[in-house]
Amino acid sequence: MTGDWTPGEMMAVAAASLLRDDDVALVGLGLPQIAALLGQRTTTPGIQLLLELGVFMPHPVEPAMGIADPRMWKDAWSYGGVIDVLGAMLHGGRVTLGILGALQVDPSGSLNTTMVSAADGSVRRFNGSGGGNDIESLAGRVLVVMRHDSRKFRPAVEFLTSPGRMLDGRPRAEYGLSGGGTVAIITDRAILQITDAGAVLASVHPGQSPESVLASTPMPLIVPAGGPDETAAPTALQQRLLRDELDPKGWYLG
Amino acid sequence: MSKVSSLADAMSTVTDGAHLALTGFAITRSAVAAAAELVRAGRRGLTLTQVIGSLETDLLVGAGCVDRLIYSGGSLDRFGSLHSVNRAISAGLPTEEYSTLSLTLRLLAGSLGLPFLPTRSLIGSHLLARLTPTGGAMMITDPFSGAPVLAVSAVRPDVAIVHANVCDEDGNACVFGPLWSIKETALASARVIVTAEQVVPRGGIDPSRVTIPGAVVTAVAEVPAGGRPTAVFGAYDYDATLLSEYAAASRAGGETFRRFVTDQFLAPDEIVAVAR
Repeated sequence: MTGDWTPGEMMAVAAASLLRDDDVALVGLGLPQIAALLGQRTTTPGIQLLLELGVFMPHPVEPAMGIADPRMWKDAWSYGGVIDVLGAMLHGGRVTLGILGALQVDPSGSLNTTMVSAADGSVRRFNGSGGGNDIESLAGRVLVVMRHDSRKFRPAVEFLTSPGRMLDGRPRAEYGLSGGGTVAIITDRAILQITDAGAVLASVHPGQSPESVLASTPMPLIVPAGGPDETAAPTALQQRLLRDELDPKGWYLG
Repeated sequence: MSKVSSLADAMSTVTDGAHLALTGFAITRSAVAAAAELVRAGRRGLTLTQVIGSLETDLLVGAGCVDRLIYSGGSLDRFGSLHSVNRAISAGLPTEEYSTLSLTLRLLAGSLGLPFLPTRSLIGSHLLARLTPTGGAMMITDPFSGAPVLAVSAVRPDVAIVHANVCDEDGNACVFGPLWSIKETALASARVIVTAEQVVPRGGIDPSRVTIPGAVVTAVAEVPAGGRPTAVFGAYDYDATLLSEYAAASRAGGETFRRFVTDQFLAPDEIVAVAR
């Protein structure tokens, strides 16, 4: 099926391939943060990271339990508050990139991070928006990183925590949202590009067939005329950094 | 005149039905000792505004002190969810859920005496759809451009609690490290109670380091380890064992949670003093 890498490693590497050296990024904890740190150590050393609670350019060196864990704030350039980071930086148009996780997505890249219903009608609540809605609403572009679980792909999300590229079929800017919304969903099997026309199967990861990816993605998905690309596999350097330095306890990359 | 008092005296000014604002963030800088004092006093009917829910939020909700919650989500990071909060919401606790920025803007508007502030966040979401009937957020037209924009209304809690590193007897408080929404929350509130790791005499604080001006602070209590088991930057790390145990107790709920809270947070003062 796959080469000598874990699904999490493949996701981190695929997400890191979409970063730019001049990105100013707000990232969620877990794989989004791992992907950003991987880019910072390899192909996009110029990327600037921000944490919503008021941290500019942290350089964490050990795994943190969350963004509220002071280990995450180590050797930062400066501290401020929400009004500095989500206000002046994000709302002010200076944040070019957000990287987020999601419980559910739809073909326009809209996100549910609030709750999911079980088959028996019971509702399971998660951690809520926090800064997630702000990032999706305001960042220049957003990458969504999540496991390729068929239950997570919906024609329409169950709870719309954060609107994606389109809203009710119309461009988000018409509603007063700024930024571009979701541009890609990176899973452990493929990269889905979000366009005005909907979600496009842009590339499949090594060892995955387009047919199997389509079969496990129960939402409208456009296949390019020439078929999807194949995502580049993790390199030895990327795997060493991920395993030895960025997630040595295997919390996120398993 | 000195604003210094005991923690119990300071917290006795938070009465049943008050609109309380808290400033902890997940597993960091939660005013746990102050919240425990409210639990000990059996406070009921509180409205609680807190930008990111934390251990103190979960403690107060789990103890039945809170009748209305205004927040933007929260967790105990990888230690767990705010199980008591989530369970209470499922059982019908009235809740207004924002995003981090939009709720902080409500507090900023409150601090400035403005009726509302405009924002481009939250627009088009189900969060907004649920908030509009509460009077907290409403789409309006930008009077200059004619474009749609969201207005979030000012919020002015009765009393805020901030756990600071150092504070002088006049209430000039220093919060070290990231500040998330601590300042906006304090300045929006009619009264501010500071609990501090250390209280120093007048003149003992570098004015450049003051986060919360004494001008808005109404009471100061020295509470060493007042944030335990959460981390207080510049003072101590979180207590991973106690946080894990808390998360498990909160998940269990009921008598397990009640006993854990009683044993860990409501212990007699002399036992807590020895533990320090």
